[in-house]
Amino acid sequence: MSAPAPTTSTMGPVLAMALKDLRLLVRNRAALFFALGWPVLMAVFFGLIFGGGGERARLEVGVVDEDHSKQSAALLSRLGASEGLTLTPLPRGEAEARVRRGKLVGAVVVPKGYGEAEARLFHGEPRTLELAVDPAHAAEAAMLEGMLTGAAMQSFQDLFSGGQASRRMVDQAFSELETMPDGPWRAATTRFLGEVRTFLDSGEAAGATKDGAAAARGEWKPLVIEKRALRDEGAGPSSAFDVTFPQGIIWGVIGCALGFALSLVQERTRGTLTRLRAAPLSAVQVLAGKALACFAAIVAVEALLFAVGRVGFGVRPASAWLAAAAAASVAFCFVGIMMLVASMGRTEQAVSGLGWAIMMPLTMVGGGMVPLFAMPAWMQTAGTISPVRWAILALEGAIWRGFSPAQLALPCAVLLAVGAAGLVVGTWRYRAAVD
Amino acid sequence: MLTLADLRKSYGATVAVDGLSLRVEPGEVLGLLGPNGAGKSTTVHLALGLLAPDAGTVTVDGLGPPTAPAVRGHLGLAPQALALYGDLTGEENLRFLGRVHGLAGRALAERVDWALDFAALTDRRRDRVSAYSGGMQRRLNLAAALLHDPRLVLLDEPTAGVDPQSRNAILDRILELKRAGLTVVYTTHYMEEAERLCDRVAIVDHGKVLALDTVPGLKRTHGAQAVLHATVGGEERRIPAPDPAAALQRLMAEARVDDFHVERPDLEQVFLKLTGRRLRDE
Repeated sequence: MSAPAPTTSTMGPVLAMALKDLRLLVRNRAALFFALGWPVLMAVFFGLIFGGGGERARLEVGVVDEDHSKQSAALLSRLGASEGLTLTPLPRGEAEARVRRGKLVGAVVVPKGYGEAEARLFHGEPRTLELAVDPAHAAEAAMLEGMLTGAAMQSFQDLFSGGQASRRMVDQAFSELETMPDGPWRAATTRFLGEVRTFLDSGEAAGATKDGAAAARGEWKPLVIEKRALRDEGAGPSSAFDVTFPQGIIWGVIGCALGFALSLVQERTRGTLTRLRAAPLSAVQVLAGKALACFAAIVAVEALLFAVGRVGFGVRPASAWLAAAAAASVAFCFVGIMMLVASMGRTEQAVSGLGWAIMMPLTMVGGGMVPLFAMPAWMQTAGTISPVRWAILALEGAIWRGFSPAQLALPCAVLLAVGAAGLVVGTWRYRAAVD
Repeated sequence: MLTLADLRKSYGATVAVDGLSLRVEPGEVLGLLGPNGAGKSTTVHLALGLLAPDAGTVTVDGLGPPTAPAVRGHLGLAPQALALYGDLTGEENLRFLGRVHGLAGRALAERVDWALDFAALTDRRRDRVSAYSGGMQRRLNLAAALLHDPRLVLLDEPTAGVDPQSRNAILDRILELKRAGLTVVYTTHYMEEAERLCDRVAIVDHGKVLALDTVPGLKRTHGAQAVLHATVGGEERRIPAPDPAAALQRLMAEARVDDFHVERPDLEQVFLKLTGRRLRDE
């Protein structure tokens, strides 16, 4: 036997330990379910219970008619006939407030002057509609915009379907053009209106379709939809999922941390720790490998739940950077808790029992079961002792509370402090127990 | 190679190691023979620096105390418990342990292949360890201790809980190591294993070395001798004799011997003589 000389690297063995633990986690289906599947189930289940939505049969849309013209009434009538839409007439302020709160997918505002603009279709300012949407419901908002465009363009199609109304509109446009100063635009519009008059007189207009509208494109705009994303950052979650997904993330994080605490004890009870300690590793390297694996696993759980929340349930952090900072702080905190819990018992049963016995009450008072804002004031105050409370606050701050970096700094600092304390005390206790 | 000097270790009121001293010479297989609870495993842990002694010193010749990670890199341990990850394959276990010992790249791949071959598990390298038989797991446990090519390897009850066939396979592999000149400390409570493998044997009980010598030396010094069992005229006779052949000859000259057999002296008798009890009573 003559083996090549080993390399001397501090991080190599630590990374090897971390990769080993992540591989073991992936192969442990029960642990994987409680780290990933269970939190998603919880978040979705409670989100649905609290009115998060899910598959909506109809899109709830507010409509604001500020024009009160027959054209605006016709537009809203056509929009209301669209399949899958429920329109609620509202004042502008109320409609926008409901969109901000996530109660409506969007609000269609028909501003004053819409009917007049439709009557003078070929010149002057184009018809304008306002569409205020909830960015948390991007897919539904896009669908609504499409329906609104279709309803508005229907009037354009009607125009080219012939009839006296169309001829009157062209004649009126001609007469108004004569009052305007000469210029390239006037000449071009005059030529275009002449073509339209010829088209209407030819009798083919009855068969005309949207192609007519397409042909009329160019610099001329028949319709402008001014779209705005409404998000009242400080007012509240846009849906129940904004609340339940941070809770779900916390459950996943706790499951992950306690799983790693258990695995650290198993290393001891199953003898693998003896083998690792017999290797040329310091105790700190052994524990650092476990901590690194735990951190990576927790971050992966958070990322996956963020992704599921975003893709499936419209949970969108206001800032990806703040969300990353919150997630990293939560992960660090629970790595420390993992280390502390692992040092509190000598057997798997003891650590598992103690871990949940400690984490359950902290989760209850920290808002992991009932949302923080739904708790009585005294319990919210009591919850400040729980790292779960700070973890949820950090995640919610990044998702829907609209925290600035300075506002997020407090919960993140608390989480980092708890994590550091847990790492120091847990490492000390664990080393004392195995030596 | 390894010197343990007046080691003491207690757990509360229980004294696990009580002034134990011994020296392991380079290239020898030294057995620690004693019943369960005699202090063998604690001695191994002290020798590796995994436990801090209450008193006494441990020195790896030319390197220093084993508490330094660099010194431990020259030592190998096959723990009594199967220190393997059941949800990893045999190859993954070895690759991980190799990396922990600082091996990488081609060197790691070569040593993993060697270890799998040594454990006769090359064909099962991609099976999870939890699917291995007890004997396979024991062989892998042993191979893992040798992965980084240590100068001294400590084998703590390496055949515990395996069937006789697997035990023979493991003992054959340890004999290979012995022939290759590896220094081995071997703990066991099976006297047959100690007799078969060890150049010298330390009889350990209650944390103390009661005797330390070669197997013949122990038998000689501590009064163990062969016993001639003979049937003479239907009567069973038990004749302790240093030279059973001469004793039989003398008996046959006196009377007709219908049947006989010789009970060879063994370490069990040495242990009985030293402690007043049998090795596997406890």
